[in-house]
Amino acid sequence: MSAAAVVTTAGLTKRYGNVTAVADLDLEVRPGEIYAFLGRNGAGKTTTIRMLLGLIRPDAGEVRVFGHQVRLDQPSWLGRVGSLVETATAYPNLTVRENLELQRRLTGAPAVAVGQVIEQLGLGAAADRRAGQLSLGNKQRLALARALVHSPELLVLDEPANGLDPAGIVEIRELLRSLADDQGTTVFISSHILVEVAHLADRIGIVHNGRLVEELDRAALVAAARAFSAEQLTEQQRADALLTLELERYFLARTDGSVQ
Amino acid sequence: MFIAVFAGELVKLRRTLAPWVTLGSLMTGPLFLALFMWIVSDPGRAAQFGLLGTKASLSGIEANWVSYASYLTLIVGLGGTLLLAFVAAYVFGREYSEGTAKVMLTLPVPRRVFVAAKLLVVALWWLVIVLAVYAEAVAVGLGLGLPGITWTAAGALLGNLLLVAGISYLLAPMVSLVTVWSRGYLAPVGFALGMLLLGNVIGHTGWAAWFPWSIVPILVGSVSAPADALPVGSLIVLAATFAGGVAATMWRLQTADVNQ
Repeated sequence: MSAAAVVTTAGLTKRYGNVTAVADLDLEVRPGEIYAFLGRNGAGKTTTIRMLLGLIRPDAGEVRVFGHQVRLDQPSWLGRVGSLVETATAYPNLTVRENLELQRRLTGAPAVAVGQVIEQLGLGAAADRRAGQLSLGNKQRLALARALVHSPELLVLDEPANGLDPAGIVEIRELLRSLADDQGTTVFISSHILVEVAHLADRIGIVHNGRLVEELDRAALVAAARAFSAEQLTEQQRADALLTLELERYFLARTDGSVQ
Repeated sequence: MFIAVFAGELVKLRRTLAPWVTLGSLMTGPLFLALFMWIVSDPGRAAQFGLLGTKASLSGIEANWVSYASYLTLIVGLGGTLLLAFVAAYVFGREYSEGTAKVMLTLPVPRRVFVAAKLLVVALWWLVIVLAVYAEAVAVGLGLGLPGITWTAAGALLGNLLLVAGISYLLAPMVSLVTVWSRGYLAPVGFALGMLLLGNVIGHTGWAAWFPWSIVPILVGSVSAPADALPVGSLIVLAATFAGGVAATMWRLQTADVNQ
């Protein structure tokens, strides 16, 4: 384990009854890198993120963020973290600006931060609209803005591209890249879309059934991506079925340790 | 820190209907009471109002300030306890129903501070409602020219209302505990309704002074003649209920997983 790691987990496990959501997870996220946590729905990504943020307790193992062992209600290091967990939520009766102002005051960010983050996330036109009246995409932008308003050293983002149109996805991707490159922000991002994280991440951890199957760095990913096959299909259903099958085979191969 | 959190909790109420709905609902009490007083003050008028007039006549209400103040204390004591439960359930429960609990609990603020700030918001909200109802009652009393209304009598009503409202408030943390435990509105409102019914039942037994939810019915005279003073034991029970409710709500918020 690197002493300078921003996030480390060791043997992290969470069970819900008979279901093991996260199993014996060992992770290390280094300063200034973008680490993508890739897996299908239900793979354990959100549960892991909740444990990173101290929202739920692990059944076994531990999480450390900035060297602090994460426990419920230990807020000393949370001011250094910006987060978006699962769905984008906000106080629906408050405007975008008011929601951000609330976050700013409680994180101790300077007054100018709200205007800056509104501009950064392209929320200018919606700044004085109530959060409950925003489109899904703008709700997502607001949630991202809230995560960023206090210029955190670590961003923990759960499916940040949810609800964004393709142009918005590219925009957010560029924003996260620039935060990591220019400000040294560490980004931990979860996604179920390989293409999305392949363009962004320095390293990718692939999770399946709560287990970390493999970690790849960008170079390995690019090399792996060179081997591909292409099929042209005109039928949507057949294309979906084929893609699902390929993904299943990929994940099974990683879980079993045998390449099929 | 506490001031910022408290201010934030007040901001969260901006543009919400709940404060107005609760204020409006309790303010109908003095108006209906005034209508009854106006009807019974003239036997001929009671006949004109048909069923409502008959009901007013049979209720035994006398058209004077003492009677008006006594019934108003009963309305604030019993109706207010239920309304206060709704207020507490709303202030705590909306974080779960609107999905913002995970936002609130990932702020660099100890969770007990949120509990204290929310309980203070509930207290302030409740105080405003009670004072508004009192002002309305005095205006109605003066408007109707109820016999017996003097500044001393009006001052005595204020004292009684604040006493009953204060005792009702001491029960509110138990509602907040049920809210954070159940993460919704239904259970706390059901709990308050159940306790109110139970309080009225136990109020008819020898244990009334020892059961927190029987103490308001004892004071307002819904189970017996109104008590002039509470036994010391009741005060201890109320203080313990309040302290236990606050401590348990804090403990629950500090230790429960947030899987929302």
